[in-house]
Amino acid sequence: MRRVDMGIKIDALKCTACMACELVCGYHRDDAFALLSSCIVPYRARAKKDYFGVLLKEEEDLVIARPEGVEVRKIGAAEEESDSGKKADASAKPMLLREPCDLCEEMKYGPMCVKFCPVDAITLE
Amino acid sequence: MEYLSTGKILIVDLETREVTEEELADDLVAGRIGGAGITKHLYEQHEERDPVVLGTGLLTGTLYPGSALGVVTAKSPVTGNLSHSPFTLDAAVELKYAGFDYVVIKGVSEKPAFLWIHDGIADISDAADVWGKDVWETTNAWRKTLGDDLIQTLLIGPAGESGSDFAQICVNYWASGDRFGLGKRFGQKRLKGIGLRGMGLFEIADAEGFVDRCLELLTQLKSGAASGKKGIGEIYAALGMPEVRDWLNSLVHRHSACFNTPFATNTYVYLDEDPKRLTEPETDDPGFKITELFGLLGLKKIGLSAEAACRLLKACARYGIDGAAVAELSEKADLKESGEIERSFASLTGSVTLPGKGIFSPWCPVGPIFSDFGLSRDASETEAWWERRQAVAYIFGIHPLFAVMSPELTEESMLEAVRLGTEMEIGRETLDGVIADLAG
Repeated sequence: MRRVDMGIKIDALKCTACMACELVCGYHRDDAFALLSSCIVPYRARAKKDYFGVLLKEEEDLVIARPEGVEVRKIGAAEEESDSGKKADASAKPMLLREPCDLCEEMKYGPMCVKFCPVDAITLE
Repeated sequence: MEYLSTGKILIVDLETREVTEEELADDLVAGRIGGAGITKHLYEQHEERDPVVLGTGLLTGTLYPGSALGVVTAKSPVTGNLSHSPFTLDAAVELKYAGFDYVVIKGVSEKPAFLWIHDGIADISDAADVWGKDVWETTNAWRKTLGDDLIQTLLIGPAGESGSDFAQICVNYWASGDRFGLGKRFGQKRLKGIGLRGMGLFEIADAEGFVDRCLELLTQLKSGAASGKKGIGEIYAALGMPEVRDWLNSLVHRHSACFNTPFATNTYVYLDEDPKRLTEPETDDPGFKITELFGLLGLKKIGLSAEAACRLLKACARYGIDGAAVAELSEKADLKESGEIERSFASLTGSVTLPGKGIFSPWCPVGPIFSDFGLSRDASETEAWWERRQAVAYIFGIHPLFAVMSPELTEESMLEAVRLGTEMEIGRETLDGVIADLAG
């Protein structure tokens, strides 16, 4: 199990890249179905290689839950080259402009990505 | 249409290169609901121009479980009839978020063409540089040119360009659910393919009610018959063929799902990397994503190893040809070796077995998976159930495979979701009418 801050745990190996977390996070932000504002995003830009996981934007950090482990980067540094020589991920397109995770404050179910993950890849600590 | 919809239909005339938009009228939705109900209507409206119509359902791209489906409606070169094939992964969702619920493509382009739909805009551009390229090369080229690896593509390879009856409209790099040869229609129109990307937004009439209902359904599904299972191997096992799962197992890397679909119907095999590898492979194409059942099954029946079968399916996807048709016709022609089968792609002819009435693609097995849906073992009852289940999935925008494994997704729950999401009173009588029209 991969463990990250803020009470949300992401197990990238359980993830199936279905994007339910991204969609419901967008709903939380926009009160509509939209993907532009989500602070949690399955990264899919390397789907051709079957290499995928989950990005989560926190207040100061970008959490990159990869199959091989979780990496936490300070916002800003996340745009630097990663160990593999690639950018953090293209699917993080406007990630730095998005609101950070607020654990779905004021939502009656609590963190919606946790509720809507069909395979329990995202859970609460 | 104000809710669960972009409210727009895109009309593309490849002959004149004119692109126009029409409003998706409430009356049309009230009478035809959506998905295949409306793609058929649009096909008939433009029939004299031999259109290919793409569409999504009201539930496509929403939180309703399994909301991944888009439909391609056109006359099948295989059956000669108006047919509906699915496109899933993330492509249907990308079409809707790119700003259009429906796309009517009519006429024939003078030169190879690429249709680029993005953020409410559609452009037709020249595709001469990729005409003759395979599906992988073309998707790579378009993503590189447009600078976005998340662009979803619906496209043909050499099979569609050369007029094969078994040409598929592929999705990105992979086989689609097109068993009706609709890729040939793209080729006849000199349409190499479509790129999709968008960041749209759909309003929900009763947002809280809609989301509550989706969560209730997901909760039920998570304790249902498919819960805890993943991948194509489990589907084979549920269909009584656990040996296919076991035969494939040593190559399996990971399983992935189509958009918001709780069951991961896609299985990726590593062919040039260790399947246990977790870090990012250095090679660009370490393997192949298996997105359909029958090609692999047919190649196993011929006697190929799992690795040889997967490599051949990869070749099929690159060429843009239906792997299941390749397997069946190769068996009939007594071809047993990968190389000779691949060399036969260009000359592949014959008739293939297509269960069902030829309306909905039998990419989805004709029968329930994991759960029995309360059906008897009577074949005609199962076939009638399947035709209706597929119709419902194609109307609302639900993944067809997930629809036959999830009795929790009742017709009433879909109608209720539409009522909550749109405030439109669409009832069972309307649904029955649309299903009857699709069957007729």
